Amino acid sequence: MARVKPKRHGVVTDMTAMCDVTFLLLTFFIMTTQFKKPDVEQIKPPSSVSEKLLPDANLMTINITKDGKFYFAAVENSKERSELLDKMGAKYGVQFSNEDKIAFVKTPAIGVPMNQLKGFLKLPEDQRKNVITKGVPLDSTNKQLIDWVSASLEINPEYKLAIKGDGATNYPKVKNLFEGLRDIEYYKFWLITTQETNK
Amino acid sequence: MAEVQVQDKSEKGGKVRSKKQSTRVDMTPMVDLNFLMLMFFMFTTTFSKPNVMDLGLPAKPKKDAPPPQRTEIDLTNSISLIIGKDNRIFYHQTDQAGLNENTLQETTYDKEGITKVIEQAKRRAKDVKKFTVIIKPTDDAVYKNFVDILDQMTITNSQQYGVTDIKPWEKVIYEKKVGVAKPAVPAQ
Repeated sequence: MARVKPKRHGVVTDMTAMCDVTFLLLTFFIMTTQFKKPDVEQIKPPSSVSEKLLPDANLMTINITKDGKFYFAAVENSKERSELLDKMGAKYGVQFSNEDKIAFVKTPAIGVPMNQLKGFLKLPEDQRKNVITKGVPLDSTNKQLIDWVSASLEINPEYKLAIKGDGATNYPKVKNLFEGLRDIEYYKFWLITTQETNK
Repeated sequence: MAEVQVQDKSEKGGKVRSKKQSTRVDMTPMVDLNFLMLMFFMFTTTFSKPNVMDLGLPAKPKKDAPPPQRTEIDLTNSISLIIGKDNRIFYHQTDQAGLNENTLQETTYDKEGITKVIEQAKRRAKDVKKFTVIIKPTDDAVYKNFVDILDQMTITNSQQYGVTDIKPWEKVIYEKKVGVAKPAVPAQ
């Protein structure tokens, strides 16, 4: 006995509309995403209950590693970055060529003293990661880190500062930084933390 | 497949028409791909933003400015927290004369410890409006402890707090308490 097959209806779902919507959302998210810049060194910020998110303002970041090395990340603005390098170069008597400036603009964060900066910028990009740096010096006689901050602020006083410290950093290091910032009368900044999870 | 083509079998009206190719494109794989990318971008945007906490530092006193007048401070209106080494924390509410190894008490960083201590001190304060927490991190403290305490200020809603250095007389008691006889490390 031949079975009568029921006539199949075409199951047509028009995906075009859905495709449109997803594309729209996708475009939105692609536009708004800012990828996390690779860290110079692994830093684990302490946790806090603060729910405030890091604003997108013109941000310079000071990274403090576990062993108390400072890294300074200038604002992401190539014009102002090269201006900053000029300023710092003038202050410390170092001449930077245009190649150095281009290299500096591309560097996420610097962690070398001024006298080594030129050599550091001369290195090809892939080798810079392997250089063992001492960090930007900051002590009672050599306050280069503070100079970086104040030079940035001279270029644009609107800059905000975020400090990302490792939880295990010794406090005196952090205190030094705070004291230095108080010296240049810069009192308000942000501490980068992570979301509290265990409470 | 979302789309199943059903062939129309209308061959009436003798004219031979050129077979029309369907212009429909199956969008399903495209939608799949879009969704996948959408998910990726959504997650990266929400997770890449770190949290921040505000920190305002007091201005340094000007060198030529006259020293501030001594004000009488009611000891109950303030509590001093000393952040020590190995994640230990001590607190006291006394002055130099009253501080000894018994009045410098130890507590912990969790909810049962420091939060309660601050809240109790606040309740006992004669003038809650003036209640101030004085944070004194020692050189043995780590950054995490400092942030934890700032966090506690938010949790206990203590608007007035100050960060300062540990006084020498407090340091003596603190060192007795933690049992170290090592010389003070100069801040560098």
